[in-house]
Amino acid sequence: MIIPIRCQSCGKPIGHLWEEYKERLAKGEDRKKIFDELGLERYCCRAIFLGHVDLFDTIARFKKS
Amino acid sequence: MDVKSLKKEKYKAVFVLKGTNPSYVNMLRRAIINRVPTMAIDEVEIVENSSALYDEMLAHRIGLIVLKTDLDSYMQKSKCKCGGKGCARCQLDITLNIKGPCTVYAEDLKSKDPQIKPVYPKTPIAKLLKGQNIKLSATAILATGKDHAKFTPGLLYFQGFPSIQIKEAKNPTEIAQQCPKGILKVSGKKIQIIDLPKCDLCKACEDFAKESVKVEGSQEDFIITLESWGQLTTKEILTTAIDSLNEQLDSLSGEIKKIK
Repeated sequence: MIIPIRCQSCGKPIGHLWEEYKERLAKGEDRKKIFDELGLERYCCRAIFLGHVDLFDTIARFKKS
Repeated sequence: MDVKSLKKEKYKAVFVLKGTNPSYVNMLRRAIINRVPTMAIDEVEIVENSSALYDEMLAHRIGLIVLKTDLDSYMQKSKCKCGGKGCARCQLDITLNIKGPCTVYAEDLKSKDPQIKPVYPKTPIAKLLKGQNIKLSATAILATGKDHAKFTPGLLYFQGFPSIQIKEAKNPTEIAQQCPKGILKVSGKKIQIIDLPKCDLCKACEDFAKESVKVEGSQEDFIITLESWGQLTTKEILTTAIDSLNEQLDSLSGEIKKIK
């Protein structure tokens, strides 16, 4: 839904990297290169980025205030 | 014991520790996870939350935010003079008051102490649409990984220092090609090792040529990697962990002396 603040497995803070990752991915950069440069070296942290679907904007529209 | 630094980055340190044993390094690893205190938000009082996140989810995310920690000016509630009631020495008030449409970042948290603020200001907490807003007050405390994993200051992992023994081989080029780290190099008919600490003991070369190559991790010397999540520096983490181990040993020896 929204990017986790920390990696669920190792506890490394990763939330602040998401926007840069998304931006660079849109420019057509290679995922491996982005991960290496962002400092995500373990596959637990990488998997969170690979599997994440940013649905928060969609879900926010269905919230009744 | 002998320490030699291999690599030092802002939040990461790699060093070789010589003349010890696995249990000792593991003790250090566990002390870092469980016994080094850091600041994190522990209680959240939500006044208004019309974002798409549930209150619990929002509080959980705010709790995980990494706060820069000053170990000299704060102490754990259990050790504080106030007796755990909460005073300026053991807790810190943080507020968040924001109106949409916007993305709520960790930098929007207003801390009463300018020293204690989020290490990564661009951590997204939530997104707000037009007409949605969040108003809350939170309390940050100093606590250890024993209380909650969010207080853990970092991660330490270690491997035995590698030793590669190479006897004469028929096919040195092919053996050298097995190494995924590329630390084996052929010169003439001999295999040379460049940058030995890079070896992660995968033993691909040994599996390929069992009779001529032997790879072993030492049980006395270790390559230790210490990663900090940002609350404390790597040095602070290590010294605090060692202090806490000393404290435990002192209390143990005190108890033993009491026995007649």
